[in-house]
Amino acid sequence: MATGQVGRDLGREGERGEEPAIRARGVCVTYGDRLAIDDLTVSVARGEVLGVLGPNGAGKTTAIRVLTTMLVPSKGTFSVAGIADSHPSEIRRRIGVLPESPGYPDPQTGAEFLRYHGRLHGLDRAAAHSNAERLLAEFGLADRARSLIATYSRGMRQRLGIARALVNNPEVVFLDEPTLGLDPAGQLQVLGYIRSIANDRGATVLLSTHLLAEVEEVCTRVMILNRGRVTAEGTVAEVTALAAAPRTVRVQVPGDLTGHAANALHEVADVERVTHDDARPGSLTITLNGPPELGGAAILQALGQAGVPVRSYEMEGARLSDAFFAVTGGDS
Amino acid sequence: MTPARSLRPYRSSDGVIVARQEIRDLWLGGRGLALTLGFSVLLSVISYLVATNQALNYLEQRETVNLTLQVAIAVGALLALLAAANAISGERERGSLESLLVTPVSRSGLAAGKLVAALTLWLAAYVVTVPYVWFLGRDVGAVGDALLTGAVVGTLLAVFLAALGIVISIASDSNRLSLSVSLFVLLALYAPGQLPSGAQKGWFGEMLVRVNPMTAGSHVVDRIVISGSSWGDQLPWLAAPVVGALIGVAAVLVAAQRMRLHGKGTG
Repeated sequence: MATGQVGRDLGREGERGEEPAIRARGVCVTYGDRLAIDDLTVSVARGEVLGVLGPNGAGKTTAIRVLTTMLVPSKGTFSVAGIADSHPSEIRRRIGVLPESPGYPDPQTGAEFLRYHGRLHGLDRAAAHSNAERLLAEFGLADRARSLIATYSRGMRQRLGIARALVNNPEVVFLDEPTLGLDPAGQLQVLGYIRSIANDRGATVLLSTHLLAEVEEVCTRVMILNRGRVTAEGTVAEVTALAAAPRTVRVQVPGDLTGHAANALHEVADVERVTHDDARPGSLTITLNGPPELGGAAILQALGQAGVPVRSYEMEGARLSDAFFAVTGGDS
Repeated sequence: MTPARSLRPYRSSDGVIVARQEIRDLWLGGRGLALTLGFSVLLSVISYLVATNQALNYLEQRETVNLTLQVAIAVGALLALLAAANAISGERERGSLESLLVTPVSRSGLAAGKLVAALTLWLAAYVVTVPYVWFLGRDVGAVGDALLTGAVVGTLLAVFLAALGIVISIASDSNRLSLSVSLFVLLALYAPGQLPSGAQKGWFGEMLVRVNPMTAGSHVVDRIVISGSSWGDQLPWLAAPVVGALIGVAAVLVAAQRMRLHGKGTG
């Protein structure tokens, strides 16, 4: 499904007879005169990883703060883990949150921090202790469990934050920019944790990020916000298809057959344009006006019928980034 | 946008869990010890001066006990105020408040736990004060009265000021704002005590001193320690500190319900 209007999958959830993990209807948030969130209507099925994209100030963090009961919307209703927004503390029992740029109490050790939050979530002392030890091991912090958080690196703090978000074994996990400020290795590690939260724990994940590659890699669905409004929503492939970005195929044929190949390609319905580089004989760039996978097949077929051998073939489709810039108008 | 409403009622266990952790952070983190050490040094200097300095030796022995006790109460309660004023705005400034607010713990439990932790600074200050009061008052039989008065009045004033600090901290977006407002309010509360004695004796002046928990509390300590006045005589004066402490705690519980991610003061 790809749409600028969201919430069409409510029916799908109904068919499954399963309450969505997150459901929002007509949620609006205003800061003074400014509308920070405008008519947010979304439904996220259990077990999904929803990537929330958008330029700075698009309303991603505000949307998360509404759904995590930190802000009450000016209009609209929502439910998380099947609990209506009229019971915020019940929602808080069932969610885990990694806020954007979270702070940590420097006088506490990692183990103490997780134990404390376990206790705040209602675990008894023994359960909070064993839970903390397990999470520290899971997130590679066991050897620094007794060290003060003040001595942790940024990556370790971020892992500790994700561990804290899981301290109550939540049904829904909200991660606001979890890879912010991390090096590539740290980003990769966090992506692995996000996959594990969804696959091994079966939790629903709402991931807010600026990194489109993250979303392409781990998210089952994507929602793009711009100026408080949902401008696109669907699977990565569906949202990508909104981009209408140029999709190109590069082929290498024998240099003396360049003209012959170009003529054959002009006959293919999905081919919009064929160009060749005089400096590199046999190198053709074909612009498609249809889906790249269909156009690509037709190109190979046409060249085969024309008796032109293909030495190399490279297809470049639209990417999520194309869709992002298309629907946000390049806002930043 | 409005702050999130909290429908969860206050549970005493919430406050206990928060208080335990806050006390650990305050004392094992070293801040409590550093403040108490500073307090000890100050009290030592004052005690030394009033006990040995020739220029100050005109003070009657009971007056030296009173002066030391008054300073201990004022500074001990000030420490509680400072810790409380940092409690919520500090979390906000460090970015750690959101992590606490997304837990199911009640807002009032959170605030109550932090209030209790701040009050441990007063408790420590009082414990430090005991030997000084004993040393200065042992020869004039003022130790018992002074320690009891200090415990009662000091605790009431510390609760009042710490509660005030928590309420200001809940409303403030930054520590700087919270501390500035708290100190300003503290100075304003002490101001009636600085009026000329003539002004304090008129009906308006006396009312100002009586309804103000700080000046009324100071009056009680003064009368019991120096003049040997009975507790019964001082009960009317004790009303303001008692009411101030009760209103303070109630204000904390009410303000906690309005605790939100962002305070006021910095956009």
